[in-house]
Amino acid sequence: MSDKTERKGMERRRFIKRGMQATLAVSLGGVAVASFMKSYAGEMVWQIDPFKCVQCGRCADECVMMPSAVKCVHAYALCGYCDLCGGYLKPNANERSTAAENQLCPTAAIKRKFIEDPYFEYEIDEELCIGCAKCVAGCTSFGNGSLHLQIRHDRCKNCNECAIARVCPADAITRVPANQPYLIKGDFTAAGDKAKKDTSRMSDNN
Amino acid sequence: MNRKLVNVFLVLLAVAIIAIILFDFLRNKAGDRSENRFEYNIDELRHVDSTLIIYRQVGQFPVNAEKLSGIAVSGDEIVVIADHLVLKYDKTGSEKFRGQINFDPTALAPDSNGELWVASRDQVFLFDAQGNLLKRSNSFGDHAVITSLAVSGERIYVADAGNRIVYQCDKQGNIVARIGEKNPGKGVSGFVIPSPYFDIAIDDSGFLWAANTGRHTFDNFNADGSLRTSWGKTSIKIDGFSGCCNPAHFCILSDNSFVTSEKGLIRIKLYDQHGQFKGVVAPPDQFGKQDTEAPDVAVDSDERIWALDFVKKQVRIFEKK
Repeated sequence: MSDKTERKGMERRRFIKRGMQATLAVSLGGVAVASFMKSYAGEMVWQIDPFKCVQCGRCADECVMMPSAVKCVHAYALCGYCDLCGGYLKPNANERSTAAENQLCPTAAIKRKFIEDPYFEYEIDEELCIGCAKCVAGCTSFGNGSLHLQIRHDRCKNCNECAIARVCPADAITRVPANQPYLIKGDFTAAGDKAKKDTSRMSDNN
Repeated sequence: MNRKLVNVFLVLLAVAIIAIILFDFLRNKAGDRSENRFEYNIDELRHVDSTLIIYRQVGQFPVNAEKLSGIAVSGDEIVVIADHLVLKYDKTGSEKFRGQINFDPTALAPDSNGELWVASRDQVFLFDAQGNLLKRSNSFGDHAVITSLAVSGERIYVADAGNRIVYQCDKQGNIVARIGEKNPGKGVSGFVIPSPYFDIAIDDSGFLWAANTGRHTFDNFNADGSLRTSWGKTSIKIDGFSGCCNPAHFCILSDNSFVTSEKGLIRIKLYDQHGQFKGVVAPPDQFGKQDTEAPDVAVDSDERIWALDFVKKQVRIFEKK
């Protein structure tokens, strides 16, 4: 009887010992794997999906940076280089000129430069841009949508919880890999164009 | 006494502070802020003086397709291209024909005998009235983006927004002339086409008109491709065209008046043959506030205007008041 009790006690102690050893091994292994994954996983940063952005104006107000780390960027390949630019001029502008009263941007952050008739180039001064998206709304409404917002990573603090993402009504701000930190418009023109060479003749289908 | 007063004051102060904090929390709750102090507001421009509206909508019918591309009137039929389909309706909106095609259609133009020219991004196809393919062009080039077709007698005109040119072809498919090609030697500055909106139409004399959207003008050409005349006005006001790509679509009435359709601030308007603003067919209020796509327009023999609403996926019919 006492042998049996002693053996039971031994088994229990061995079970507890092995259980503790296994728990320790699993914990250490888990920590090691987690550390390994953290070391080799890519860093993530915040970015705005320009196709989801609804130009609500909150990027200018909600960012912890002052002025906001969100800036307007210009996809030149998309731009129509228009004289009557919806992103540069107020809808009811008196004339198409660089006069302050005609400019849509509240901080005059867009520079207009004559190229050749009838083309004008528009350049963003990031020091002045506050990310209010007013120009983006104008360009999206009347132009090709070449002006759009992006979080500039030379300014962004990459907060654990982005203050703008928290209030973005369109859920347009998401984490993207740090090695591809920007979502710039303009890649759609590369779509597979299966055009053939001959431009001069028609052929009977039959 | 003094201590009692101090206590009352402190309690009142605490209540006031709590009230202020609560008020501030409720007012500035995250996600609750609806006003946008940087709002781009064009509501004022959406309003049009009712005396300027000279047409009224008299009907509409749905188009049972996903991605609509264009509309034309062929005799008593309304022809719509959409998805991989050619759809024909009678004037009551009953679908009479649904033909399958194996490409994304971008433009159409009715020809005689019920034949129909339909374009893809870089090719042109001819179908008979039953939807059988009769002819198919070779490609108009790597950069071709065909946006409009027009037929005049034995000529077919192909508007290519990608190459910013209108090809005049015979019905055997030979290119007869390249219209609007940039030629500084002849003082031709070329079309300014910032995006794939480049419409063309033929007037009752058989002359070609092209919407030079980057300049907000209509350019008129002789058969040999030389420029006859041009009109247009750049303005966001009701009598002009604004944005980078307007007028996005147009058609010409029997008296050579122009029905124009604009994107961005959507509005359909009427101009006389000299470009004098005559009135509004459909003001911005008749389209959704968030909608920006200009309806394609066509006109029938009764001068009714048929507008293809890409957002509502329906054909809307407008008649003079």
